[in-house]
Amino acid sequence: MDSTTTVVKGIQPATVDLRGLLKRFGKDVVAVNDVDLFIERGELLTLLGPSGCGKTTILRLIAGLERPTAGQILIDDDDVSRLPAYLRDITMVFQSYALFPHMNVFENVAYGVRVAKRPKQEIEERVHEALAMVGLEDYGKRATNALSGGQQQRVALARALVIRPRVLLFDEPLSNLDAKLRKRVREDIRSLQQRLGITSVYVTHDQEEALAISDRVVVMNQGIIEQIGSPHVLYTRPASRFVADFIGSANFIPGHYDGQAIDVLGYRRPHVQDMASGPVTVMVRPEAIEFAREGEEGVEATYLSSAYLGPVTEFIFDIGGVEVFATISGLGMSVAERGDTVRLRFNEAGVSLLPPE
Amino acid sequence: MAVTTPTTPSRTGNGMGLRFSGAWLPALVAIVTYLTLPFGRPGRPFLTIEPDLYALALGAPLLWIVLLGAVASFVVSLLRLNTAVRGDVLIATGTVGLGAGVLWFILSATPFGIGALLTLAALALVLGHALSESGRIQGDAFIATSILVVSLFVILFIIYPLFTVLRAAVIIDGSFDLSQLRRTLTHPLFFFLDNPRSQIDEIGLTLRWGMVVAVLTGAWAVFRRRSVPVVALRLVLGGIAGLIIGVLLYGRGALPTSLLTVAIVAPTCTLLGLAFALLGQRARFKPIRRSLDVISVLPIITPPFILAFAMIFLLGRRGIVTHGLFDMSTNWIYGIPGVAIAQILAFTPIAYLLLRGSISSLNPALEEAAQTLGAGPWTTMRTITWPLVRPGLAAAFLLSMIESLADFGNPIILGGDRNYLATEVYLSLTGRFNPNEAAAYGVVLLALVLGAFFIQRLWLGGGSFVTVTGKPSSGALAPIPRVLEIGLTLVLFVWTVFVAALYISIVVGSFAQLWGVNYTFTTRHYEDFMRAGWPVFLYTARVAAISAVPAMLLGFLVAYLVSRHRFFGRRFVEFGSLLSFATPGTVMGVAYIFAFNTGPWLLTASATIIILALVFRNMPVAIRAAVAGLAQIDPSLEEASTMLRARSLTTLRRVLFPLLVNTLVTGLIFAFVSAMTAVSQVIFLVSPGNQLATVLLLGWVEQGQLGRAAAMGTILIVSMLFTILVVLGLAQRISARVVRVEG
Repeated sequence: MDSTTTVVKGIQPATVDLRGLLKRFGKDVVAVNDVDLFIERGELLTLLGPSGCGKTTILRLIAGLERPTAGQILIDDDDVSRLPAYLRDITMVFQSYALFPHMNVFENVAYGVRVAKRPKQEIEERVHEALAMVGLEDYGKRATNALSGGQQQRVALARALVIRPRVLLFDEPLSNLDAKLRKRVREDIRSLQQRLGITSVYVTHDQEEALAISDRVVVMNQGIIEQIGSPHVLYTRPASRFVADFIGSANFIPGHYDGQAIDVLGYRRPHVQDMASGPVTVMVRPEAIEFAREGEEGVEATYLSSAYLGPVTEFIFDIGGVEVFATISGLGMSVAERGDTVRLRFNEAGVSLLPPE
Repeated sequence: MAVTTPTTPSRTGNGMGLRFSGAWLPALVAIVTYLTLPFGRPGRPFLTIEPDLYALALGAPLLWIVLLGAVASFVVSLLRLNTAVRGDVLIATGTVGLGAGVLWFILSATPFGIGALLTLAALALVLGHALSESGRIQGDAFIATSILVVSLFVILFIIYPLFTVLRAAVIIDGSFDLSQLRRTLTHPLFFFLDNPRSQIDEIGLTLRWGMVVAVLTGAWAVFRRRSVPVVALRLVLGGIAGLIIGVLLYGRGALPTSLLTVAIVAPTCTLLGLAFALLGQRARFKPIRRSLDVISVLPIITPPFILAFAMIFLLGRRGIVTHGLFDMSTNWIYGIPGVAIAQILAFTPIAYLLLRGSISSLNPALEEAAQTLGAGPWTTMRTITWPLVRPGLAAAFLLSMIESLADFGNPIILGGDRNYLATEVYLSLTGRFNPNEAAAYGVVLLALVLGAFFIQRLWLGGGSFVTVTGKPSSGALAPIPRVLEIGLTLVLFVWTVFVAALYISIVVGSFAQLWGVNYTFTTRHYEDFMRAGWPVFLYTARVAAISAVPAMLLGFLVAYLVSRHRFFGRRFVEFGSLLSFATPGTVMGVAYIFAFNTGPWLLTASATIIILALVFRNMPVAIRAAVAGLAQIDPSLEEASTMLRARSLTTLRRVLFPLLVNTLVTGLIFAFVSAMTAVSQVIFLVSPGNQLATVLLLGWVEQGQLGRAAAMGTILIVSMLFTILVVLGLAQRISARVVRVEG
């Protein structure tokens, strides 16, 4: 997609307010459990979580494809909880793209304006405008199955934008693309979203994708919200063990906190975090672990095993009976025997505290 | 079918709702039709305008409430209210109007007129809009109205008629009375033991059968060293089985006769179906598969009793084999042997079709795995193939059983002095003029068939139309053992020759002067047919065509609602459609007579009732086709359309219909063809001026007018074959174009 400054006239982004949203399937399955969430005008908010955590259900509830069991959905202060999907100014980009197989690219994109019975000329203008936005001006006559996965995804995006929705929903839009393309398309989506300033809700189970694309990320688990925050906050200050584990990987080492510093097996490192003094669980990111240089403070660890991966080496150590996983770059240690004792230090950026187990 | 009114949704300034309800138009229509068209009708014709029968002239309080409901709905739909709240109010006004109208018809038992039909339909549409806008039903007004209408249809045309059969069996002259039921069930026509062959009395003989089988099964259990309670259980079960065998052997009434026929037909059909399915998929010799394709089409294009009729030509008293070849003059085909053979010929293809699915969904890798573990072909078949096809066999068995019990045409032609449950339903109503007796037979038959049907459903798990369609997986199929293949091929060969001879004999018979006596060529029978049968044939084709369209649309709608929407009453709609599929045709025919002979639904002796019966009879055929078609389409296509603000009717028209052209045309053709060849459910409903081809054909066979019956049979078969080949070929070409776009 080239970055010509096409601006879609008439998109008026809205806020979305979920209040006490509850969705039950059958009698026992609670897919979304009393969720409160406010989505700012023009922001891209990602719902992130493992499969079955309720993120897609929330998306479908906002879309109107499902009815909430309880709670309210407000779009710009209008309660739309009981409004049929086709009356909400919301649209969705599907995981499978859901391009109509019996229509060409132009007809697919034109669908929404045709259904709204707009005059012929307006239809053509808006379709061309939308196709230009995603960089597919000359593809109108193509059959959709003659396009690559990335192009199909962009057609789906153009088809959604053409009706000028007030909220745009993405349901795992990149999961059918290969890894390289995925990076490209997600950048395209992000830049288009920022250019148009359209309120967007994005569902994914890929944490890297979530961090890369979002203004804010909502981490969900078993129908409830674990944490809401910017990508940076989620990574550096996870609110729970689940969030720490789900976004990136993490080690959890028991320790003690006194308001100024952490103590792990006698290794004191200064740390400031809003946390009561006493026993804590110290979360350490694998890439925050380094070998302590001569004379530096560090924690005693036993070397267990390692795997050389080129740019980094993956180590497994034992710290006070806890297995700790570390990725250390460079040629930190070339030869070691199982059982050797080493001294390790933790980098400030990759350390955070959680309540004790 | 109800259609949503094209209103333009006007959004309020910054809100997302409807400024006024889409219900305003149907409400207005309800008011106008109420005022301008008659609510009742004096007799059968629909379009007579009788001033006395206007709702205002009738002046009943309930009818005032109908008008009140319509006017209130109209006013409320234009009020500026929150969409959901207004919807709730409209539900109330719509329900009051519709409910009052329905109640008035039930209480006054007046045949409804065109005005009532339109007014109440419009009020249903109001209710549909209301249910949708209030958010009580997830979906737009079209979906909500469809759910409402489909549920009403299921109640009115499936559940209610069957209920009237139950009622007629136990309620006589307005009061609960079991005497007729008792009289029917103890009558020799229903159940009667007789032993014409020896001096011993039949009850004693039956008991002896029970004892012998009990002792045998008990001894076998002892021989296998089972524990004492097991032996005792086997003794009891053996005794019961023996008694059943005895009853079947010496029984003469309708119940034992039907059951004995089932006991012969169902296992035979299942085994033959299995044999053909195995051959069809794994035969080394290709032409065998072609001939099996032909076999699978035969039951569709042939009226159910044509083979029985052809058997008279081959094996009857003047049959070309029995009389011409062996110079016998025998009546042996009249009775259980003839009926059983005719049913086996008619129902084996159905069992074959069912088993073909379950054989082709076997994963060849499993058999290959067995063979790499050292199992030979026989061992593989015994330990892998057999256990995997067992559920399919059970399904085929039960289906053959249901078909055999429900069969009407074959027993009426070949039954001879034996009477059958399905034919007794008909004979007691039209021969003995005893509706209560007919109802009693109907109840027994219905209980047996539904019992078998729901056992099958339970067995296969789930009462859903959405059956698992096995994808034929890749991999080399293990050929069947050569000895088995030769044996099966031989069976198929005999079968094919016999069936071919039957079909040929009908064609030959239609050109022969007098079958069995004078075989000189003549076109006399065709001249007779042109005179007496052609108008009826054309009329039948018209009725069948008229019924096929709503059958297909309704079937598609039910399939769409059931497989794509979750709503209150979904299981009920599914159940009702299954019920209309499983109910024997004669029972449904009687039910329609009972249900639509009086009161608001005075419909008997009209083309309307025949069309209605055919619509609801053939709807399940269309449902199956549509469910299979819908399963191929990703539901997110429809959701994408909804998300682009298309209403569901638009989605159906622009997305689903183009993708399902082939399925819809196929459904239409099958609904048409099966309406053309139906006999059991419509035989009650024909009347002078509303005669149908199959019924006329059956009458000619019974009167011994075999020549012209053969002529009509030939024309029926040829025209049905032509319809299927030409139209399906056309549909496939259309869909091939769509698929090419799809890739």
